[in-house]
Amino acid sequence: MKKLVVLLCAVSLLACGGCAREKAKQGVVLTVWETYNTEERALFLSLVQEFQQANPGIAVEAVSIPFDGLEPKILTALATNTAPDIGRVDVGFLPKVAIRGALMALDQYGVEAAKPNLRPVALSSCMIEGRTYGLPDQVNGLCLFYNKEMFAKAGLDPAKPPATWEEFVACARKLTDKQAGVYGFGMRNSLWWSLPFIYSFGGDILTRDKKCALADDGSVAGFQFKADLYSKYGIEGGAWRAGGVRDDMGFQSRKYAMVFNGPWAVKGLEQGGIDFGVALVPSGPAGYATNVGGNNLVVFSTCKHPAEASRFLMFLTSKEAQARWANELGQIPVNMLAEDLIDFTKHPYLKTFMEQMKYAKPRPQTGSYPEIENALNPEMQAALDGKKSVKEAMESGCKLVTEILGEEEDLEASLKR
Amino acid sequence: MKERRLDSAVWRPRRVKLLKTLGLYAVLVCAALVVLFPVVWMLLTAFKQPGHEFDPEIIPRSPTLQNFRRVFAEFGFLRYFGNSTIVAVAAGVLATLIATLAAYAFSFKSFVLKNKIFAVLVASMMVPGLMYVVPQFAIVQKLGWMNTYRAMIVPHLANVFGLFLLKQYMDTVPRSLVDAAKIDGANDFQIYGRIIVPLALPVIATLFLLTFQFHWSNFLWQLIVTNKESLYTVPVGLAMFKQAHEELYTLKMAASAVSIVPISVIFVLAQRYFIEGMTRGAVKE
Repeated sequence: MKKLVVLLCAVSLLACGGCAREKAKQGVVLTVWETYNTEERALFLSLVQEFQQANPGIAVEAVSIPFDGLEPKILTALATNTAPDIGRVDVGFLPKVAIRGALMALDQYGVEAAKPNLRPVALSSCMIEGRTYGLPDQVNGLCLFYNKEMFAKAGLDPAKPPATWEEFVACARKLTDKQAGVYGFGMRNSLWWSLPFIYSFGGDILTRDKKCALADDGSVAGFQFKADLYSKYGIEGGAWRAGGVRDDMGFQSRKYAMVFNGPWAVKGLEQGGIDFGVALVPSGPAGYATNVGGNNLVVFSTCKHPAEASRFLMFLTSKEAQARWANELGQIPVNMLAEDLIDFTKHPYLKTFMEQMKYAKPRPQTGSYPEIENALNPEMQAALDGKKSVKEAMESGCKLVTEILGEEEDLEASLKR
Repeated sequence: MKERRLDSAVWRPRRVKLLKTLGLYAVLVCAALVVLFPVVWMLLTAFKQPGHEFDPEIIPRSPTLQNFRRVFAEFGFLRYFGNSTIVAVAAGVLATLIATLAAYAFSFKSFVLKNKIFAVLVASMMVPGLMYVVPQFAIVQKLGWMNTYRAMIVPHLANVFGLFLLKQYMDTVPRSLVDAAKIDGANDFQIYGRIIVPLALPVIATLFLLTFQFHWSNFLWQLIVTNKESLYTVPVGLAMFKQAHEELYTLKMAASAVSIVPISVIFVLAQRYFIEGMTRGAVKE
């Protein structure tokens, strides 16, 4: 799959340009490739209906694409100039296509007016070098989920989740019962899932001048703490190991008392009858912090009706539309004005999720984020396994990152020429 | 005392044999368990309540059919199955037909540069299939075939592996048989239809199964040439169950369980041919 993506990228470079698309229907038809889940899709289609009624002459044609199939599909489409008008892309994927000239900057189509009300951390993932390459569709970050029942059983106050990493370790020790196979915490290995640790210890992925910062003191300390949870403190159940019980599944089956997770997990846990609470990720030397994930809506550069497409995107990020995402599906609204319209009694966790986003730190806007993640993950795995020291792992990871960034720079330079 | 020793001496080889057999069976049972586990897990999960797919119990506590119902009612799998059947059957039949005709030509006819052309074709098998994706997509798109069954079927009809498999087999058919038919006045199509095809039936059946299975489980190509849910095939439909943060395992397993039915049925029906076909042509006599 990775080879394919590289190949498609290469071809798409050669072929991004104007496109001829036949439009049989009258008026403007906007094609949208979306990756929503079932319930999100239902809401999206109802919003599309609403938009079409308010904007006669603009029809929106939504095509649902499997989440994992979107990237190869978009890259193939770009290679042959058959991209849709609008796409819903992961925040980590946006820079990759934007830098390659496949996305349209929307600044001249009136999105300026919508921007001040959008959550800054979400909007920043659409911005590259001061230009707006889309509008946020969904934003989230990891929070701490904890099992209240297990807290009570261990003699802890279910209303008082740990607020600092020290409290977290103390708490988890009480929750761990190795004989019974129960652990205080279950975690996942990957760069993205390690970011809350790295950020809260003052680390980062890249420095301000775009050099790898993962071997710097803050990052190393953050990841060292994560590794210690398993090897030194023994409060983590090895969820990240091959063959281990994954964090979310272990939380579901009451094997791990605490895990990181996001708004998307709420429904499944409620269905599974878990009595859980949501708290901010504990604070470290650098205070509270978490990572950012989500999706953005983008307009491809081959779109013939960018003004109409922008209008549709602004409609989707409007106060009213975003209030529906929050009230009906419990998601964090990307429009901050929508907060006044939210019924928090129905979505008790939403306040914490929104509070957590205040401490969320976006990833660097590099076209190579997925490659950076792929380079780091095996190194991090080796460090967790104890095969390498954290410092060694991060240093060799950084070497790879520097290479990746160099290639990316060369590519960007050649694209600008 | 003496007798006893004799007795045990008589029993020893039998006992060793028994132990050997037991050992062999133990290994086979283990291997079977490894192979069957995912299938059994899939079937059991298909009957579990959503959210309980990773509960410790293996047998679902309160089995339900709602996963199957939802797969067909809410996720349109009937349509996806229809599409997959059309594509896999059409592609399987056509690709096999073309491969047998081509193999006949390469095996029994002589024409200019025959061996060189064959070598080039076989060499093309060395190119990784993914290399063809973008050019094929560009061609399909230029032909205006996007969102059609044609787009899913036609690009994979030329099956060099099938040609190779069949030609190697046809080369083993005694030339005298063909010569005798010619003397009796049979033309090429009669030789092909009355002699070669019946003889090569096991290999042909194998090839049909392989191409059917390839198209039944092909994901990437079907994904990129269709932009309409009404044209999605089963693998693309199955991928829809993996969403941004969650995977709907119970539904996915229910749909997967149904999706293996056609292949299993065909395999069981054609098993005899299938096994025979794979070994045919392995040795050239």
